[in-house]
Formats: sequence, C-alpha cells, structure tokens
Amino acid sequence: MIALLLAIAVGSLFATGTYMIMRRGQIKLILGLALLSHGVNLLLFGSGTLTPGRPPIFLDKKKYAEALAAAVPADPLPQALILTAIVISFGITAFVIALVNRRQTIAATDIVPGEFVPLLREGDPFDFTEGPQDTDEYDWLAYELDEVYDSDDMPPSWTPSLTPESDESEAMEEFHYR
Amino acid sequence: MNLNANLLAAPVAIPLLTAALMLFFTHWGGRRRIGLQLLLSTLALLLNLTVALLLFQATAGRGERFVLQMGGWSAPFGITVYADGLSSTLLLLTAVVALAVYPFAIATIGQHRKQMGFYPLYLLLLMGVNGAFLAGDLFNLYVFFEVLLMASFVLLTVGAQPAQTNSGIRYVVLNLLASTIFLVAAGVAYGTMGTLNMAQIAQRLPLASPAVHTVFAGLLLVGFGSKAAIFPLFFWLPASYHTPPPAVTALFGGLLTKVGVYTLFRSYTLFFPDLLIDWQRPLLALAGATMLVGAFGALAQPGIRRVLSFHIISHVGFMLMGLAVALNGNQLSVGFGLAAAVLYLCHHMIVKTALIMAGGAVEIHMGSDRLASIGGLVTQQPLLAFLFFLSSISLAGIPPFSGFVSKLSLLQITLDTRHWLVAGVSIFASFLTLLNMMRLWRESFWGEYRWPDPFHSRILQNKVRQALVLTPIAVLVSLSLGLGILGEPAFQLTRRVAAQALDQQAYIQAVAPLTEQEE
Repeated sequence: MIALLLAIAVGSLFATGTYMIMRRGQIKLILGLALLSHGVNLLLFGSGTLTPGRPPIFLDKKKYAEALAAAVPADPLPQALILTAIVISFGITAFVIALVNRRQTIAATDIVPGEFVPLLREGDPFDFTEGPQDTDEYDWLAYELDEVYDSDDMPPSWTPSLTPESDESEAMEEFHYR
Repeated sequence: MNLNANLLAAPVAIPLLTAALMLFFTHWGGRRRIGLQLLLSTLALLLNLTVALLLFQATAGRGERFVLQMGGWSAPFGITVYADGLSSTLLLLTAVVALAVYPFAIATIGQHRKQMGFYPLYLLLLMGVNGAFLAGDLFNLYVFFEVLLMASFVLLTVGAQPAQTNSGIRYVVLNLLASTIFLVAAGVAYGTMGTLNMAQIAQRLPLASPAVHTVFAGLLLVGFGSKAAIFPLFFWLPASYHTPPPAVTALFGGLLTKVGVYTLFRSYTLFFPDLLIDWQRPLLALAGATMLVGAFGALAQPGIRRVLSFHIISHVGFMLMGLAVALNGNQLSVGFGLAAAVLYLCHHMIVKTALIMAGGAVEIHMGSDRLASIGGLVTQQPLLAFLFFLSSISLAGIPPFSGFVSKLSLLQITLDTRHWLVAGVSIFASFLTLLNMMRLWRESFWGEYRWPDPFHSRILQNKVRQALVLTPIAVLVSLSLGLGILGEPAFQLTRRVAAQALDQQAYIQAVAPLTEQEE
C-alpha cells in the first residue's frame, strides 16, 4: 500500500515538474526543477526496501541485536543518498534563482543590445573595488589587461556590438538569438 | 617503478586543495592577489599533468589497474576509486587540455572575471572532470558530475552579460534534467540490484531480469548521452558555447562532452557488453544522426564559435559509432572499434581545443566572430592564420595529422562490419567538416582586411600576450601532428586500452566486491 502511494507521489511529482519546466515563465521553471528533484529524492527513498516501524540505527547494541533477531532493520543508505542529493539540488536551485534574478535585472533596464553591462551592481558582496586599489608586483599581466578592458570606450570583445555596416535590427536579432 | 594506489586520490585532491587555498587570495587586506592565484594554479596544473603521466604510463603502458578503496573499506561499502587505461588516457588528455587552455585564459580573460574567482573555478572544473573519470561507483559519479556542472555553470555565466545569462539558463536546465535522469538510473540500480558499486553492478546485472537491463541501459543512455550531446539531446551545447569568453569555450569544448562519452564507453563496456550487439543498429542510427545534424547545423551558423560548437556534436557521433561497433561478434576485431573510438577521442580533444582557441583568438582580435563582418586576417596575423589552418585540416582528417589516422581506423572497422550506410554517412559528415573549415578559413582569413568593431582590442599586439595565446595552440597542433605520424604505435596503445576496458571480469576482480558468502 505504502509502496503504491510512493509510486503515485513520485509519478505526480515528475509529471508536475516536467509540465512546469515546459511552461513559459522563469519562476515556474525554478519550481519545476525543484519538483523534479523532489521526485528523484522520493524515488531514491523507495529504492531501499520500505520497512515501516524499523529504525536503521540503534545506539544501544542490545536493542540492535534484538532488532536483528526480530527482523531486518531498515536500510540507511537511501537516506544518505537523498541527503546528498538534497544538498546538491539546494545549491543548484540557489544558483538558478540568482541567475534568473540577474537576467530579470538586465531585462528590466534599457540596455542597448551590445552594450557592456556593468559586472557589479551596487551593494554586491563581491564588489572589491572599494578600498585601496594598489595592485602588487604579481599583477603585472593583470595590469596590462585593465588597460585593454577598462577604458570606457572599449567594450570587451565577446559582446555583440553595433557595427558600422550592420543596422540596429540586425544587432537586435543577434541579441535575441543569443 | 611501482606506483602506490594512493596516487589515485591526487587528480581530485590537487585541484580541490589548491582551489580552496586560492580562495584566500581573492581579496586580501584590500589588495588584489590574483598573481598568487596564478602561481598556485600553475603549480597545480603541472602537478596534475605529472600525476596523469605517471598513471598513464603505468596503466596504458604496462597494462596495470589501480584500485583505491578509500579508508580501507572494502568494495561495496566504501568509496572505490578506479583507474585503468581508458580512464588514465582521459586523465592525461584532460591535464594536457587544461594546461594548454590556461595560458590562453591568462591572456584573454578580463580582470573583472579573474577577481570573481576564475582560477579557483577552473581548478574545480578540472577536479570534477578528473573525479568523473576515476569514480568507481554510480553515486560518486553523480556527485562528480554535479561538481563539474556547478563549476561549468559559474564559468559559463561569470560576468553575467545578457547573452551569458540567457544561454546560462538553457544550459543549466537541460544539464540538470540529464543529471536527474542519471540519478533515476542510480536509484533503479540500487532498487533492483542493491548496490551502486560499478563492479558489483557488473557482477549482479546478468542475474537481473531483461526489463531491468533495458530500463537501466536506456536511462544511462539518455543521461550520459545528453552530457555527451548525442542526437536528440544536444540542444544545450549550441545554445551556450558561444557566449562565455573564448577561453572558457575552449575548455568546455575540450573536456565537457568527453566526460559524457567516457561514461558511455565505461558503462556500456562494463555493464552491457551484450547490449552493444543487440542495440547495435539503434546506436549506429543515433551516431549517424548525430554526425549529420552536427555537420549540417554548423553549415548554417554565422559565427566561428557557433560553427565549431556544432562540430563538437558531429564528432561525438564518430565516437558513438566506434562504441557501437566495439563488439561485433567477429573475434578477430573485438575491441578494434573501441580502440578507434578512443584514438578519435584523443585526436578530438587535442584538435578541438586548439581550433577553438585559434577561433577565439580571431574573435578577440577582430572584436566579433560573425563571418559576415570579418576578413583578411592573414595579412595581420600570419602565424595565427597558419595555426588555424593546420588545426582545421587536422579536424577535417587530412594526413599527416591525427584526424586522418583516427578517421581511417573508424572507417575501416565500420566497413569491415558491413555497416555501409553509417560508413557513408561518416564520410559525408567528414566532407561537410572540410567544407565548413574551408568556409571559416575563407571568410575570416582571406579577402580584404576588415573588422566590425572600431574599438577592436589590441590584445594580440602585445608580444607577451601574443606568445601566451599562440604557444599553446602551436603545442596542441604539434601534438596532433605527432599523433598522426606515430599513428601505428598510438593505435597499438589504444588497442591495449580498449582490450583492458572490455575485460569485464578483470575489472570485477580488481575491485573485488565482497560476495554474499564472505559477508
């Protein structure tokens, strides 16, 4: 019975997750990914034999011997696997949320296609440009590079750019394709 | 010289520890210490190459196998780390590619990205790839896949330009789906066979029902196949590879899909040698479709890096073709197909990295890689033009480069097993590759010198930087030339590697999982 319920739960989680991923909208995408990872976690849970009422770990050796004599204790391995999978999917979900957030920020601002977007926003925890900026002697090459990239009129080479011979619509098209 | 099996931990431990150490030097006392990171990661990459060379010499050269049971826990209970010829060949090539892309990255990655931890991420990606080649059980393989995916997500999007975030989302979602399917496969393995250790799965799989075989093999094919970018599952690759800085694309093109190919090789030779015969036709069909779609897709692309990323897909098809004919019932040529595929894998990793770096240098010099708006670079950068030409004819398979030997051996075994159609398709795909390379060459190097960006960077005009960009390309091209000239010894070596990989019983004995009686 419990196995049947588990199977139904796994199936519906997978179905909902797939459906949510295929819809438009990025929040739905994130939700879909989260649901899919929950589905897999439950599937891993079901891959160990389901043994209701039998804990896997006993601190008391005597009770453990009794449990072994009575019946096989539950398998703790799937739970360890699930724990790992949960941690991984948590980290990835956090990353996807940050990515979607950044994308929304870019989409909300009126950036001309090809314009170089500032790498850091205000209050960014990774903004190390505050404070003393003296580069040390190891940074000889980096200093050279700043010369190339940091001058105001020079976008880095890999961003699409408005070219003398291409008009704006072409650059827009390229931007959307990317 | 006898190697200690503990050396197997080094390809994972060296990058991990160095990356952790490097995080201290991101920002230290208000001063930027990127220089120290540079020093540390150079050391780590050299050390990694040394270890990989030692392992390669012992396994592929002398035919040994190394097994490390972490913490002394015997096989199904502990963490098994395993290296044989196949894994150490890939470890060696990974070390070479990582070391070759590194100077290119130093010279072309901007200071902003370096401050956001580019070098630690580079090493973490290396750690994930190395770990995936060494993993001896499915769950560790999953964990290392996630490590390398996580590092690649961040490398792909670091800097967060609009194009990068757009492509980053597609890349992340499709790769996550693939990981999910692979995790389902691991769950199926544990639920039906009660183990995740690869040696023990190989031991118990013959006793399992045919349904389990089919489901398990199918899930692995979908999971690993989408990492390897085979036919219907490749869409993450062309959507994303052209957006990060060229150095990152070169690293990805050299390493990422090859992890998928390696895991396909490993799982199909170890778990389902019988399915390699039963599923030969579908696998060959997938291989042919992958080759054609990659080559035709490349034909339609407007930029250098997009063309090259479609070509990655096309060449994965060749490797899959080699796997499909690895066991064809004819005793004389057992392993010939796999040997050819491994040789092709070596050739592809070397040449593709060189070519993407050369294309990236063009892009950096010109400010764009749109073929319609660049041209005439041969007058400005003759050395770059020469290197690009050599690596592109190597990719197309023209002697004396490595592309010729590896394509010839693949074609030989395919014709030998009478798969005329897929052999013809592969010849046609090679022809399209040549056509595409000619197109890239003509559009970007010949004609009138023009560039789209009035502020195009002078990155290659600095002598030091030019040396940093061109030297690794030259080294890789000469490696490809060496592999082509020494084709016969190289092929003998890969034949040994393939025979070792196909020896299922020896793998099980080397890992020696405890059986029920011993428990």
